[in-house]
Amino acid sequence: MSESKKSPTSGENGEDTGKTQEPGQEKQAKRAKAKINLNRLEMPKQSPEVRRHNFDEVATGYTYEMAMEEARRCIQCKKRNCQAGCPVGIDIPDFIKQLQENDVEGASQVLKRKTSLPGICGRVCPQELQCEKACTLNKKGAPIAIGRLERYIADWERIEGTSSMPEIAPATGKKVAVVGTGPSGLTVAADLAVWGHQVTMFEALHVAGGVLMYGIPEFRLPKEVVQREVAYVKSLGVEIHLDTVIGINYSLDELLNGPYDAVYLATGAGLPMFLGVPGENLNMVYSANELLTRTNLMKGYLHPQYATPIKIGKRVAVIGGGNVAMDSARCSVRLGAREVNVIYRRTRAEMPARLEEVENAEEEGIHFHFLCAPIAFISDGRSNVAAMELIRMQLGEPDASGRRRPVPIPGSEYIMEIDTVAVSLGTSPNPLIASTTPDLETSRRGTVVVDELGKTSKARVWAGGDIVSGGATVISAMGEGRLAAVAMHRYLTE
Amino acid sequence: MFSIVEHETLAPQVHRMSVKAPIIAQKCKPGQFVILIVDERGERVPFTVSGWDPEAGTVDFVYVEVGDTTRQLGAMEVGDSLAHFVGPLGLPAQIDHYGHVLTVVSGYGVSAIVPILKALKERDNRITTILQAPDPQTAFGREPLAAVSDRLILAAGTQGENAATSATLPIRELLAEHPRKSIDRVVLMCSICLMRVVSEMTRPYDIKTMVHLTPLMVDGTGMCGACRLTVSGANRFACVHGPEFDGHKVQGWDVLMARRCTYADDSLLQQGFQCRGCSQW
Repeated sequence: MSESKKSPTSGENGEDTGKTQEPGQEKQAKRAKAKINLNRLEMPKQSPEVRRHNFDEVATGYTYEMAMEEARRCIQCKKRNCQAGCPVGIDIPDFIKQLQENDVEGASQVLKRKTSLPGICGRVCPQELQCEKACTLNKKGAPIAIGRLERYIADWERIEGTSSMPEIAPATGKKVAVVGTGPSGLTVAADLAVWGHQVTMFEALHVAGGVLMYGIPEFRLPKEVVQREVAYVKSLGVEIHLDTVIGINYSLDELLNGPYDAVYLATGAGLPMFLGVPGENLNMVYSANELLTRTNLMKGYLHPQYATPIKIGKRVAVIGGGNVAMDSARCSVRLGAREVNVIYRRTRAEMPARLEEVENAEEEGIHFHFLCAPIAFISDGRSNVAAMELIRMQLGEPDASGRRRPVPIPGSEYIMEIDTVAVSLGTSPNPLIASTTPDLETSRRGTVVVDELGKTSKARVWAGGDIVSGGATVISAMGEGRLAAVAMHRYLTE
Repeated sequence: MFSIVEHETLAPQVHRMSVKAPIIAQKCKPGQFVILIVDERGERVPFTVSGWDPEAGTVDFVYVEVGDTTRQLGAMEVGDSLAHFVGPLGLPAQIDHYGHVLTVVSGYGVSAIVPILKALKERDNRITTILQAPDPQTAFGREPLAAVSDRLILAAGTQGENAATSATLPIRELLAEHPRKSIDRVVLMCSICLMRVVSEMTRPYDIKTMVHLTPLMVDGTGMCGACRLTVSGANRFACVHGPEFDGHKVQGWDVLMARRCTYADDSLLQQGFQCRGCSQW
């Protein structure tokens, strides 16, 4: 479908992109006023054979030439559908315009108007469902690679060692506590700090970043990128208290009765769910959270330089079909597993994981088993998992999620030998704050109930991210943070 | 950073450390634990608190040198700092007026039980304590235990079935006199094998027996599920639902013991941990 024969890596021709169209296309292009280039540039990636053995980032990012070439494909249409498709409303056409003028720093300034976490968003947002889906060029199947450009700008800043700073409003004298330093909390903290409020963040773990640090692996989101963006939020005047558990060290009421005028709760959904089948607590049956926390947060893949070990056997089964399952499977490969199997009870079409991550996993040699589910884990006689019993499924009527419900096929049980399991069925909110705050309304699932602007049932308390949704994406957590920040700012300046 | 304000050796390879952590010292309750990280490359390791002083802002714990991190701790001096220190985590131990409480302790539990016994004492319980130790010379912490116990029995040496369970002898004697001299509650903070054995000993008498479990943990805040166990058919996390559980409701002791040993060859000195009779060895 590409009109141009130009190699995606011929970056040195980048500036002439618009002029290298095939002659046959010219008439049509003239009619459209601008020559539309449908050659969406791929990002260079480590080859599967190589990346199976390291935790370095899989996609290595655009070069300057590539970024300029991709940016020039943008026709600067007046519709700005891309911006409408972005949960935090980044001025996408404007930052691309800056890139078209070779002004990366200017592009960064535009980005920072709406996001403090461009290096993170550029990597882990599902752009294919948001800005890029809305892009006018997507009608031709070649949307501008907005995420890759965003990432390029953030990486450029990181490598240049510069950081464009937004203008910070005069101090309002108001104090805000943000509980949890994941993507939602960081967004609220940054917004409120820029608007002149004094923000203090509380983090239960020993490092800020939440799921960006403990969950998403290094090869998808380098921790250096996360820490740089955390440092940027701190540079806006935000204070971060690590090793501090709200609900233990301070109750929510203690924060509200103390110095804080308002509180934003963004403690995520950390509690792992299990299948509830026999043998699930056998040795070497991990929750995906444990596997990922040991590997990413504690840097188990660098053991013994880092003290936390992570043990992976030869034949791994990952139960589940979401992004966390893909991350667990791909970590297992890199930790030396000989064979990694993803077990999912529906079909490929229903998998919640991003297509890009499924493709990456397949390239890395991960096997997918659809329409089956474990019904028991079997011990080796010494309480280590040695096998699992599976049952085949077929798809029945749609369930509440709109996806067809998997139904077990009687008599279809079979055994698969495995020595390591990662259970990746999703998570639910940690009940710590809710259980110590009686007047905070929660749902049956344990999520905090909020209105459309993130306001909870409790005065002066807002919430967002996975503690509200029960488990969604980084960018939706940021989007909810943005809405709540606006509402909190309005409350604080009333 | 959290500075070490006291560090003393109680017995060979057993030490008490006191750490400046004012916020934690304000909120500590008996039976809770802290998680520390020695340095930025360190692992998160849980320790049950053995004391705290809200005024001085210090938190104490006792540890046994068994692995890399505890050896690293052993080499630290007063004035040195721990990179991270978080807590108090877990639910406090249940404290009420029960009557006669029998408690069995060994290892770090000798010191970590003291705040629990103190609180039980304040609720007018009569306390009998059995201190299990490999030999009388290494039995540390007798004075603080004696101060909060009405009777202290030393079960040291290799008498009985084997060294790890010599406390079962005096327990058997006490149970033989029950209910004439009734035991109203049992609290165990000792090796997992001994907690398992004693839970089975008290089951026929239907004496409520609380165990303090120490499975492997990573985050210690309910996030990773490494410390999960089955209690009355339900999945429970020691870090948020425990670490105190009803020993008669704990299921799958074999699995619980095996899970403790997942990383034994990486971070534990195996020799010191081979208890005869344990299904894991």
